[in-house]
Amino acid sequence: MFAQQIINGLTLGSIYALFALGYTMVYGVLLMINFAHSEIFMVGAYIGFFILALLPGILPPIIPLYFLIIFGFALLFTGVLAVAVEKMAYRPLRHAPRLAPLISAIGVSIFLQNLVMLAVGAESKPYPETFGVAQFEFSGLHVNSHQILIFTLSIVLMVALQLFITRTRMGKAMRAVAQNHIVSQLMGINTNTVIAVTFFIGGGLGGVAGVLNGLYYGSIKYNMGFLPGIKAFTAAVLGGIGNIKGAMVGGFALGILEALSAGYISSEYKDVIAFVVLILVLVFRPTGIFGEEVAEKI
Amino acid sequence: MKYARLLFIGSLLTLLIGCGSTGTDTVKVALVCPLTGDDAAHGQGMKRAFIMAIEDANAQKKLGGITIEALPFDDRSDPKEAVTVANQVISDRGIIGIVGHLNSGCSIPASQVYAKRNLVQITPASTNPKLTQQGLKNVFRVCGTDDVQGSFGANYVFDTLGFTKVAVIHDKTAYGQGLAEEFQKQYLAIGGTVTSFDGIDRGEKDFKALLTRVKEGEPQLVYYGGLYAEAGLLSKQSKELGLAVPLMGGDGIFTNEFARIAGSASEGDFASMVGLPPVKLPLAKDFLARYAQRWPGEDVESYDALTYEATMIILDSYAKCGMDRANLIDTIASLTYNGILGETSFDANGDTRNKAISVNRIKDGQFVFYEHTAAVR
Repeated sequence: MFAQQIINGLTLGSIYALFALGYTMVYGVLLMINFAHSEIFMVGAYIGFFILALLPGILPPIIPLYFLIIFGFALLFTGVLAVAVEKMAYRPLRHAPRLAPLISAIGVSIFLQNLVMLAVGAESKPYPETFGVAQFEFSGLHVNSHQILIFTLSIVLMVALQLFITRTRMGKAMRAVAQNHIVSQLMGINTNTVIAVTFFIGGGLGGVAGVLNGLYYGSIKYNMGFLPGIKAFTAAVLGGIGNIKGAMVGGFALGILEALSAGYISSEYKDVIAFVVLILVLVFRPTGIFGEEVAEKI
Repeated sequence: MKYARLLFIGSLLTLLIGCGSTGTDTVKVALVCPLTGDDAAHGQGMKRAFIMAIEDANAQKKLGGITIEALPFDDRSDPKEAVTVANQVISDRGIIGIVGHLNSGCSIPASQVYAKRNLVQITPASTNPKLTQQGLKNVFRVCGTDDVQGSFGANYVFDTLGFTKVAVIHDKTAYGQGLAEEFQKQYLAIGGTVTSFDGIDRGEKDFKALLTRVKEGEPQLVYYGGLYAEAGLLSKQSKELGLAVPLMGGDGIFTNEFARIAGSASEGDFASMVGLPPVKLPLAKDFLARYAQRWPGEDVESYDALTYEATMIILDSYAKCGMDRANLIDTIASLTYNGILGETSFDANGDTRNKAISVNRIKDGQFVFYEHTAAVR
């Protein structure tokens, strides 16, 4: 049973981690909490939904090609959407007091939620079962193909992101902007481009997480981003907000913590337990598990 | 002048008599239920049946020259929203009665708002027994209750299906938890074993951690108190974890939307239903035929016949008695109505005496009628 709970937790944690990256990256460069991120996740799920519904009419069912198209499109579209949100709702407020962009983010979140609700309806929609799900069983442990997909895709994307941040010029520029806007501008970095790229990557990963969520649970709804959004934000804080490794570790930690508390203690109190642990971590390490690097910035 | 005075005295007299024509040319009936949100499949069905009832009543000139207007409201299954909407409803003097709500958690607080204005509320769907035990005279219910439904479910699982070990899960709402507790109480009393009893949060999507633990108890069936959105996910995820036992729920999961969410995993799952399904009601044949004509392509949802009946009961009593609200309540309380559900009359609490319950089972992605009790009284 323990091993099964770890598998349950890792699946949940992969989605949280992927989702949390968007919160943490934006916080890293702008010191702002992007509440609209949970809606980017939801929009991603809907994009996957529409493409999945359309694809069988256009292309023969070659599964790897399907995956490439769905995740590619979801990443691209939600990335662009996140950039557009930044440009319209956050950039004009960049030099305003810190509360202003926060309120603007909540506004964007409400706007996007209602837009989707009015456009596609308030009912939950069953996700097309284009691929079918293969179930595997090893000595009593149950894993399905979606869980394997979720786990591998998240790990691949997170490794790619880590390489991008540490090995490329743009990644370096991002780290520089995160440390100090003005100085990096003085060094010839175009901060606006860097911020746009940050939103693009964070939004795109959130969109992919949305598609994975839809595929795995099989139904989507206009307000589906809210609850996982809170969890992913918690994961980001748990790991140390602003820190990319922290978001990954925080996501997995929160997923496993939830699975273990629902599995061994009580499903009614699983969120209570998860948040008590969060508070304890913050009491002893106010900047989260990986928080040192952020501490010098504040 | 003379005629005007005569007319004035005449209308005064009519008012004094109380029961009679109202003098207005439109009256409104309100339907309050979730038209959006997680339970919208149920609520949209109720709205279709409600509109049909009003259209039928207008066509039959049930209130003579008075036109009846249908006013649907959305409570989004949210108790807070339900109270807000209830206050909006009572501020409209033209409304003669309320059909609704769906969720017991919404009906109970809203009923207290309607009681302040002596407005009749007939719920076609809220099954928590507490609703009619508040001592409110204005509240009636045309569907059965969870104490009957829960203990019926327990007897059915133990005696008919022959399962002695069952896991119970509920969604912590007035409806879901109430039903699950009634089930558990009776199941233990007749000698069954409850391997686990857990609550989940509405809106959650991942129940695998809980189900992994539930599986350890090796139940032969999972009984769920709650609605179809979560029930569908529970059914799907339990089979994915190798817990290949049927799920049984109450009226809240009795919609084909349940099977759409759960996919093939729902095959063989059960739902009890308060009242017989319309296909088994001899008098509902005509209703079903006209429903298919009026709403082509739409399923008849679980509470549609009940909603139609509730609306008709309000209008029928209003035709007999007129605009006085206290009078309307008394008329409904002492009424014996013969409609598509058969004979409906209310006990002292306002609960229907017609307490038949049926069991339905998923076959090829659809709920099909499985068997039923003779009317439990």
